[in-house]
Amino acid sequence: MNAIFELKNVTFDYSFDDTGPIRALNNISLTINEGEYVALIGPNGSGKSTLARHLNAILLPTAGEILVDGFTTMREENRWEIRRRVGMVFQNPDNQIVATTVEEDVAFGLENLGVDSSLMAKRVTEALEAVGLQSLKNHAPHLLSGGQKQRLAIAGVIAMRPRCLVLDEPTAMLDPRGRREVLETVKKMKQQEGITIVHITHFMEEAVEADRVIVMDKGKIIHEGTPAEIFTGGVDLYSLDLEIPVIPKLIQILRSQGLVVPPGVLKVDELVDYLC
Amino acid sequence: MRSVTLGHYLPGNSFLHKLDPRIKLSSLLLLIIALFLIKTFWGFILFALFILAVFISSQLPWRYFLRGLKPILYIIVFTLFLHFLFTKGGKVYLRLGAITVEEAGVYLGAFMTLRLALLVITTILITLTTSPMSFADGIEFLLRPFRRLGIPGHEIAMMMTIALRFVPTLMEESDKIRKAQMARGADFETGNVFRRARNLVPLLVPLFVSAFRRADELAIAMEARCYRGGENRTKLRKLQTAPRDYYAIATACGLVLGIVFSGL
Amino acid sequence: MLIETRDLRHTYMPGTPFQVEALKGISVKIEQGEFVGIIGETGSGKSTFVQHLNGLLRPSSGKILLDGRNPWAGEIKLKKIRSSIALLFQYPEHQLFEETVFKDVAFGPRSLGLEGDELEERVRFGLELTGLDYKFYKDRSPFNLSGGEKRRVAMAGILAMKPEAVILDEPTAGMDPSGRRRLMDQIERFHKEENLTVILVTHNMEEVSRLAKKLYVFSGGQLVLQGTPAEIFKNTALIRKIGLDLPPITDLLHKLKKTGRNIRTDLFTLEEASREILHHYRGG
Repeated sequence: MNAIFELKNVTFDYSFDDTGPIRALNNISLTINEGEYVALIGPNGSGKSTLARHLNAILLPTAGEILVDGFTTMREENRWEIRRRVGMVFQNPDNQIVATTVEEDVAFGLENLGVDSSLMAKRVTEALEAVGLQSLKNHAPHLLSGGQKQRLAIAGVIAMRPRCLVLDEPTAMLDPRGRREVLETVKKMKQQEGITIVHITHFMEEAVEADRVIVMDKGKIIHEGTPAEIFTGGVDLYSLDLEIPVIPKLIQILRSQGLVVPPGVLKVDELVDYLC
Repeated sequence: MRSVTLGHYLPGNSFLHKLDPRIKLSSLLLLIIALFLIKTFWGFILFALFILAVFISSQLPWRYFLRGLKPILYIIVFTLFLHFLFTKGGKVYLRLGAITVEEAGVYLGAFMTLRLALLVITTILITLTTSPMSFADGIEFLLRPFRRLGIPGHEIAMMMTIALRFVPTLMEESDKIRKAQMARGADFETGNVFRRARNLVPLLVPLFVSAFRRADELAIAMEARCYRGGENRTKLRKLQTAPRDYYAIATACGLVLGIVFSGL
Repeated sequence: MLIETRDLRHTYMPGTPFQVEALKGISVKIEQGEFVGIIGETGSGKSTFVQHLNGLLRPSSGKILLDGRNPWAGEIKLKKIRSSIALLFQYPEHQLFEETVFKDVAFGPRSLGLEGDELEERVRFGLELTGLDYKFYKDRSPFNLSGGEKRRVAMAGILAMKPEAVILDEPTAGMDPSGRRRLMDQIERFHKEENLTVILVTHNMEEVSRLAKKLYVFSGGQLVLQGTPAEIFKNTALIRKIGLDLPPITDLLHKLKKTGRNIRTDLFTLEEASREILHHYRGG
């Protein structure tokens, strides 16, 4: 399998005038393979967002190195190649939409890349279709719902044909319907386009959907494993200010009371299937 | 906020709507030059008839149009008033104690008022029929030759676009903050001017803080999408001129030349 | 304070092409000291509704009565109801504006005319109810606090007005799990200690079904269901149809019941649910 991200002993300090440097990432080594769906969880201030911003050269490590699809982020001339390959979606849906219509916002990235306008129109249409917003292409962005805005952000990124999507708490400000819409879109991108997903989230039940869960605390990776290993394998998430989603928690209680539940069962439907 | 129709784009399908924004803006510039070259009332009448014809062809609802003029009315009346009071010369029409209204004042007042009114009407006519996005495109194109002089045309157009994009968002936000502060006892509705201005602090501080945060986040989001200024940038919509654009610019040139040579 | 609405209706921008009927006749009765939940999709009218309860919006028709008095008929002052029924909007940290935490928390009580020792006592009361140490926080700038702390300062700002009821609109939106947990514990505590009416507007079905004694379900500007969490979540089909989630435990119990077991579905805590499941499935 091809590695799309290779982090080698990455350390990052934020420098402040009054307090001196603050270490946000502490000697992180990590490989993420092409086509993987990785969830990144951890309490506030654990370095998740800082890590995400290293993945497309918005931040550069203080020490160590990051290779994105073979390009090091340390060289200035690689920057645009890297950003084209790694699309980012941020938490606040409003603060990442640039243009005054849906269609033109999707085109923004392509305009920056200097894509020819006839090819651009085609790519914009394809991206809007992929996220299901083609009927709204002439709408003003502020008239969209939160979920639609985040899908627009995803469309703007995938129009650039990236290899990887980095999502920094994309559902934190959405209602349940918006969250469902965004998660379904993300899963579809992985399944249909084979795009690698790095998904930072505070919602543990979203992390259950990933292939691999990475737990961060104080700038370090402290646990790594499948969702089953992380959520039902006895990892102490509570002391990390995180929590175990309700159903895995229930499964743990059932197990401790002597009921046999096989590993890998994590969701409502899986538990119902097993019990019946 | 409903009275701010001034220059608020109304979509349509008229000749004026369909003009290329570059042509529209250049023609507007020519018309403004023409206005300042006019020396006689006959000139204004001719110009006004021309604008009226354009207005009718634009199919804009006249009520909406006139309502948009309202805020300007005060400025126009004020200009007229100033000239009446302070421009002296010629016959005295009216005497009230030490105050006189004289011939030169009335003449110049009427002249300046007409010029100002026509200037505003012409501009509004253009902004009402040009979508903000194509307006920005037009400005970016027209400022391109001035890049060497250090005028950042692309950046100005990008700023206009972003401002337009965030106006509704910030309006919504200010409504929310206003209500949140009212819920803890803030009073935005009573008191004199100074008191009211001071009472706005709980609204303005959070609004600025939020605008700065938004700007910060937007800058990062734009960079993440490979934004690096105007160089080598392409556009989704290419500006294209049609025969009507040449007629329009020719008419505007004709008007300027006509005024210069006829001495109107 | 008894909060009552009778056939409350609200229309935004009436008489324009943008006219929207946001509330279509809502009647509720909320007693002093109750903990109620208001749930519904974005745009269901729940936000519009709660803004009527403290006089921020005026009903287009129908009545709002506080202890039987109608503020819009001049029977009780608007200022009085805004201080006795406090409303905390979503992302309340965005309303902070003063240089110090003390001044910001004092803004509400000061508008009630309090000064000096009394004002200080109120600020202390508010901060401590939200779990913030008075001495440690009072002179800090609210803008240098963490997200969770900011939110609690904002909450302290409304509690310092000593309201009889608080309306909380998505108080845990955007927080990490521990922040959510701590804030909800805090809310539960001041509900109990101060006998405060709490009206919780939320999307988190799990939280609200555990805490609230009564739920109101909004959809399309109407009150479609009201009752205890158990009564509400019996209507699984309707809940799903109006775009809401079931709490995960309820979802599980209902699905197990569908397979033919005579399992109870009115349980909302992990302990009760696991006991019920073990009872049915252990050894079987």
